[in-house]
Amino acid sequence: MTSRERIFAAIRDSLGPRRAAPQAIAAEAAVLLENPQATRPRLAAPDLAEAFALKAKALGTTIDHVPDMAGVPAALRRYLDAQGLPPALALQPAAELAVLNWEGIATHPSLAPDEPVGLGLALWGIAESGSLVIHSGADNPVLLAFLPLHHVVVLRRDRLLPHLEDYAAAVQGAHPPRNAILITGPSGTTDIEGSYVRGAHGPGFLHVLLVGS
Amino acid sequence: MDAPQLAFKERAAAALADGALKIAIDRTTGNAERKRAAAVAAFPEFEAARARGKAIKDHVIAHLDHYLEMFERNATAAGAQVHWAADDAEARAIVTRICLDARAKLVTRSKSMLGEEIGLPHALADAGIERVETDLAEHIIQLAGERPSHIVWPAMHRTREQVAQLFKVGHVPPPAAEDPATMVQSARRELRAKFLGADIGISGANFLVADTGATCTVTNEGNAELTTTPPRVHIVTAGIEKLVPSTAHAFALLRLLVRSATGGEMTQYTTFHHGPRREGDADGPEEMHIVLVDNGRTRMLGDEFRAMLRCIRCGACMNHCVVYRQIGGHAYGGTYPGPMGAVLTPVLDGLAQSRDLAHACTMNGRCAEVCPVGIPLPTLLRAWRTRSWRERLEPGSLRVGLGLWAMVARRPRLYRLASRIGVRALRLMGRRGWVRSLPLAKGWTAYRDMPRPAGRTFMEQYRAEQAGRRAPE
Amino acid sequence: MPATLPDPAGPRVGLFVTCLVDAIRPGIGFAALQLLEEAGCRVEVPQTQTCCGQPALNSGDDRDAAALARQTIAAFEHCDHVVLPSGSCAGTMVHAYPELLADDPDWAARARTMAAKTHEITSFLVDVMGYRPEGRRLDATATYHDSCAGLRELGIAAQPRALLAEIDGLQMRPLEGNDVCCGFGGTFCVKYPRISDAITTDKALAIERTGAELLLAGDLGCLMNMAGKLHRRGAATRCFHTIEVLAGRADGPAIGEEG
Repeated sequence: MTSRERIFAAIRDSLGPRRAAPQAIAAEAAVLLENPQATRPRLAAPDLAEAFALKAKALGTTIDHVPDMAGVPAALRRYLDAQGLPPALALQPAAELAVLNWEGIATHPSLAPDEPVGLGLALWGIAESGSLVIHSGADNPVLLAFLPLHHVVVLRRDRLLPHLEDYAAAVQGAHPPRNAILITGPSGTTDIEGSYVRGAHGPGFLHVLLVGS
Repeated sequence: MDAPQLAFKERAAAALADGALKIAIDRTTGNAERKRAAAVAAFPEFEAARARGKAIKDHVIAHLDHYLEMFERNATAAGAQVHWAADDAEARAIVTRICLDARAKLVTRSKSMLGEEIGLPHALADAGIERVETDLAEHIIQLAGERPSHIVWPAMHRTREQVAQLFKVGHVPPPAAEDPATMVQSARRELRAKFLGADIGISGANFLVADTGATCTVTNEGNAELTTTPPRVHIVTAGIEKLVPSTAHAFALLRLLVRSATGGEMTQYTTFHHGPRREGDADGPEEMHIVLVDNGRTRMLGDEFRAMLRCIRCGACMNHCVVYRQIGGHAYGGTYPGPMGAVLTPVLDGLAQSRDLAHACTMNGRCAEVCPVGIPLPTLLRAWRTRSWRERLEPGSLRVGLGLWAMVARRPRLYRLASRIGVRALRLMGRRGWVRSLPLAKGWTAYRDMPRPAGRTFMEQYRAEQAGRRAPE
Repeated sequence: MPATLPDPAGPRVGLFVTCLVDAIRPGIGFAALQLLEEAGCRVEVPQTQTCCGQPALNSGDDRDAAALARQTIAAFEHCDHVVLPSGSCAGTMVHAYPELLADDPDWAARARTMAAKTHEITSFLVDVMGYRPEGRRLDATATYHDSCAGLRELGIAAQPRALLAEIDGLQMRPLEGNDVCCGFGGTFCVKYPRISDAITTDKALAIERTGAELLLAGDLGCLMNMAGKLHRRGAATRCFHTIEVLAGRADGPAIGEEG
């Protein structure tokens, strides 16, 4: 008998012989998700962008409003200048970003271990928690969101979702990526005496360029 | 039978004598308690969310075989290799074999209590593999050569001064100052090369999502993704009770987990890992292995400890436990401390080794009050006491004394007589209202005085009064 | 002595005195009698009562605990209500008795019936009888500790406070960590005396910080623990059961004082 068989035998022994059909189990699982508004926090504001911004800022994320995608390089330049950083960054190899006019900013696709700045694109934002969602893929290395000290993320307003369940629904049935990552504020730790320190292993700074009006 | 008991009491006594430990525990658990209270107050739906969380866990537990098969099928379809371990030894062997097959020299590890439970740190050392703990707290205790003392803050027993001392010796170059921010920067620099140079990254899982086959990690530091992305191989070790039906169910539990653990609303990094690197992916491991561990869990499924399988490892029970807050985690002697540890340790280590844990509890019920999935922890601890009594693990003196007391208490007239004699004897032992020393209850009078009884029991006085009422004027 | 005669139409209440009150501080039992009669109850004290069985229950000795449960049910089940000056013993009857006897065909239903009519005294006075003390005065400052079993097993929190608010001259001061265990825990305090002492010391410090003259609580076990620690520390805090104050009996000696 393999361990797998032993484990299943022990489970079936404990749960008894009368087992529900898969459809019945699925129906029961679906009931457990009904009426989600009864068990989740209300949005911090009626407007999704406002709710998102309130939650994100509370965690130390900074936000800049940009009217359209064409305005992203200039907004990034503003951020780099304000932080006293040179005009250079690791750029996510995404088509939507590649088409922008990066004149005056040195972009590179590679990531150094101590990369100062990385710029990426969020697939969605979640208003409930101020979270950004990224998926790994050919056009998105995971480490872009973790190695740089400054992580700058472009989020389009029309990609804002109210709640976490809305993200689950948005990807339901689609083939999941290797990594789906919800980023909620800069990296932090409270491991030394409970004192909060930013920039533990991941980015110490998370800056969102909220695009659209 | 007496040796382990002494061991627990000795560990507890050592902890109580450690003034720095008390300060460290108070700082972290006090903060956690305040932040959790604020997070719950800001979430009026918490009670309803808790009922849902409990129902989700109960649903999965009741259909555990169904969901395990579904998870295995979907994880395998995503390209992960699923392994099954009946116990800790098998889990260690599987992980070690994967490491050796990959000719791994350096392994990074993202905090996982299950890894501690199965003894992974030692197993890797025995196999000659360098292990680097990447969670800051785990990094601290690795430098100190210790085990975690809390399931959320493993190094909470260490003050900042002690951490500074460890980093001074362990970091090259040592941190420039002793404030937490500088020390965290130093760890960041120290660990960066390890992250990128590791052959294998090992993580745990906060959730196993059945309908996608994904494993989910949550961290605030970002160390999980830096552990699981750069190496060639990603190994997940997870208990079989971590299953959830779908991503949406995971979110429902995550809301409870984060608020209960740290008082936050969402962890900084919540990541679903779904198989190895895809064709064309910019980064990610070439292999993903998922080791599903039983180690006593199927036994709990069939006995009175089934509700414990709901546990989502938030640590709220220990943050709110008066005993934990006095003695800290190491005194418990197992992988898991506090109330949840007192229930789990006898499952993992045997009751004879750990019978003290269920007794070293005042049954005040605060742990159950804050548990985000409604585990009746005092009831489960009482169940261990019942087993301990049935299996005759309790000291003989207690069995005889309690038996004698029960014999008397079951005979009301004899009980009255014994009470009358008892209170008079007790009265003789004291003066001016208090008894300062009781030979049969030294545990009481070593630390506090005993109020001297009035001299006549209530029943004596009541009967006399009733006789007076009935008598003619 | 009761100030009023029992109401012949009032509910028939069985008073479970508790073993600690019987032995250590009978005045709490008389305070209970008095308050129940003031509230309009016909009170009796069944003579076959001894202990609720908690020492056995908490030691894992379920057989003896069940035997004492049966004995207690037999002694009280003829009453309309069973009332106790202890949340801990009341919680045992309400929650543990039905569990202990769940598999006993002769007793399971009787245990459930008993549980349904068992009450801690302050909750019985407020929730069932609608009682409020009248014309009582105590010029003092006091703080209140929520004993854990009453608070978490029975939801006793508002009732004692509502009753104490009716006492003229009594000023209540908030206690930091009022809902945190005092370290008593029944047999816990003698099995693990050093851990218990550390917890109780923290509690005593919090009580002393209030500066209140009196400490009030609803369970004699917890009160003996806290009073004994406060006295050992040399604190001047005087300790009473809540119902002693409600019954106007706090002008006499406090726990550990002799009149």
